[in-house]
Amino acid sequence: MTTTVAARPSTSNFSRFLRRSGRNFSQFWRQLSRNKLAVASLALVLVFALVAIFADLLYEYDFVTSNSLENALLKPGESGVVYYHEKDIEHTFILGSDNYGRDILGRLVHGARVSMIIGFATVAIALLTGGILGAIAGYKGGLFDTLIMRATDILLSIPTILLAIAIVAALGNSFFNLLIAISTSMIPGYIRIVRASIITVKDQEFVEAARCIGAGDLRIVLKHILPNITSPIIVQSTLNVGSAINWAASLSFLGLGILPPKPEWGNMLSEAREFIQYAPHLLFAPGLTILLTVLAYNLIGDGLRDALDPKLKR
Amino acid sequence: MEKILEIRDLAVNYYSDRKIVRAINGLSLDMTAGKVLGLVGETGAGKTTLALSTLNMIRAPQGRIMAGTVRFAGKDVFTMTKHELRDMRGKDVAMIFQDPMTALNPVLSVGEQIAETVLKHEKLGKENAWKKAEAMLETVGIPAERAKEYPHQFSGGMKQRVVIALALACNPKLLLADEPTTALDVTIQAQVLDLMRKLIRDNGTSVLFITHSLGLVAENCDEVATMYAGEIVEYGSIDQVFGKALHPYTQGLFGSLPDLSESTMRLKPIPGLMPDPTALPEGCYFSPRCPHVMDICLKKHPTDVDLGGHRVKCHLFSAGSASDAGRPA
Repeated sequence: MTTTVAARPSTSNFSRFLRRSGRNFSQFWRQLSRNKLAVASLALVLVFALVAIFADLLYEYDFVTSNSLENALLKPGESGVVYYHEKDIEHTFILGSDNYGRDILGRLVHGARVSMIIGFATVAIALLTGGILGAIAGYKGGLFDTLIMRATDILLSIPTILLAIAIVAALGNSFFNLLIAISTSMIPGYIRIVRASIITVKDQEFVEAARCIGAGDLRIVLKHILPNITSPIIVQSTLNVGSAINWAASLSFLGLGILPPKPEWGNMLSEAREFIQYAPHLLFAPGLTILLTVLAYNLIGDGLRDALDPKLKR
Repeated sequence: MEKILEIRDLAVNYYSDRKIVRAINGLSLDMTAGKVLGLVGETGAGKTTLALSTLNMIRAPQGRIMAGTVRFAGKDVFTMTKHELRDMRGKDVAMIFQDPMTALNPVLSVGEQIAETVLKHEKLGKENAWKKAEAMLETVGIPAERAKEYPHQFSGGMKQRVVIALALACNPKLLLADEPTTALDVTIQAQVLDLMRKLIRDNGTSVLFITHSLGLVAENCDEVATMYAGEIVEYGSIDQVFGKALHPYTQGLFGSLPDLSESTMRLKPIPGLMPDPTALPEGCYFSPRCPHVMDICLKKHPTDVDLGGHRVKCHLFSAGSASDAGRPA
């Protein structure tokens, strides 16, 4: 650790904060960049994210959802004439077309948007609810702890995918309910992680010292405990983005998530199933995309775990 | 003289699974404003519990205050509202913890931690709070530039100085120093103590100086109280207690120190161990280890005997309970 003792021109607290976070970040980045797989995965995820954000520029949504049966089941790279916007256009199907003659790459691109939103939104919902509940259970203890943890145990005793299926079945089939179903299945994990981390930190002397200078509970949790437990939460969240994408695809595959003609990786896979013998590319395209995305998130999660774990530092 | 802290008949228990640990048993203690009171006693005598009680920081459900009052500047800390307590902690009464390695939050820079206290208790802007934090660090001999560094970048002695800066940031009226030098080596100890002495003198802070070491008490304190099994067994000015210790336990503590004026081949330790706080003996708690034990010591718990401001809790000095012959020399 380099310590600069040389006098610096006095600056505002904010710029001091920025400079300091910058230093922390560069140190963290050094750690992470040693893991080549994690960096490659991060690059892949960034590409997917960009594709998801600019999906409309790459392929128009209407184009990837409208049928042109004369182009059905084209092989990758084949071209066809599509009647679109009231005129015929020549179009190359880079990854081929599906049984309705829709561009597979285009559907993957728009599916990426759905998957990214599901991945991040569910993690955000689960992190917020699970985090708050876990913090109450861990910090307050006693009756709160018992109630919250027993409820968590009940949720954990139901297999994740079954729980998600049950929730979607009960609430009905919509994008929002899919979010609820997936985040509910993730909440117990966050409750446990946050609770366990808070319990290990809250009895340390600096927390007592914080109380001793007159800090209230909220300040102690947010300012003194939370920054100490961010690492496991970040790792868990990254891994969960991958699982959320996986679960969304699974539910859609089962017909409980996003339904066709809306493009989604899981329902593409489901539709492609019937054509596995004559058009396997229908299956491989979404299948490999799901595989790569989930794998990438898991590898990033592992990389983050290594980079953030103070025991492995230096 | 004005009393800054009055503790009356304080009793604190800790509850574990099956056992009740009687950490403090009917303790009474006064502190005069502007004085440094040394509190000595073995590990487990209840010194830290006493300090925490002063801030009403005994944590439920394990810890419970059973009886007694603690008045700080005339106000009962046990009846204070949450708000009053928060205002008092850190501003009027500050605490220095035993282990500087764990008393600082590893993820906040030391400057932030000091500035936080200042912001909480003084109407200063962020900018000024930070300036004050830097100034506090300077007073404890740490360059202001290091305010933005994190605890792991400091050595143990520096961390303890940071903790002292933190405790003194709001000019507290009462400082609870819980073995502030126990975790430090002797040279750093001297540094830290010099610093504390200077700051205390400059601010007129009253200090409860908790320590194992009689040497530190002699050097730093005006008054001394000996604690044993959750009660104060002897209390007096430095001259009184160091001149002539009355309680057999205090005598035992002195006996286990080397004396430079005599050639002692062997130190005299106090035989036995501190009684198990889950099963305190009947009568005087010190009776199982006391060289002057009498029949009454096993039956009746002694009360304070006041000998001209020098108070001692021992049957040897209770009127009519012992003959002069029984008194230790």
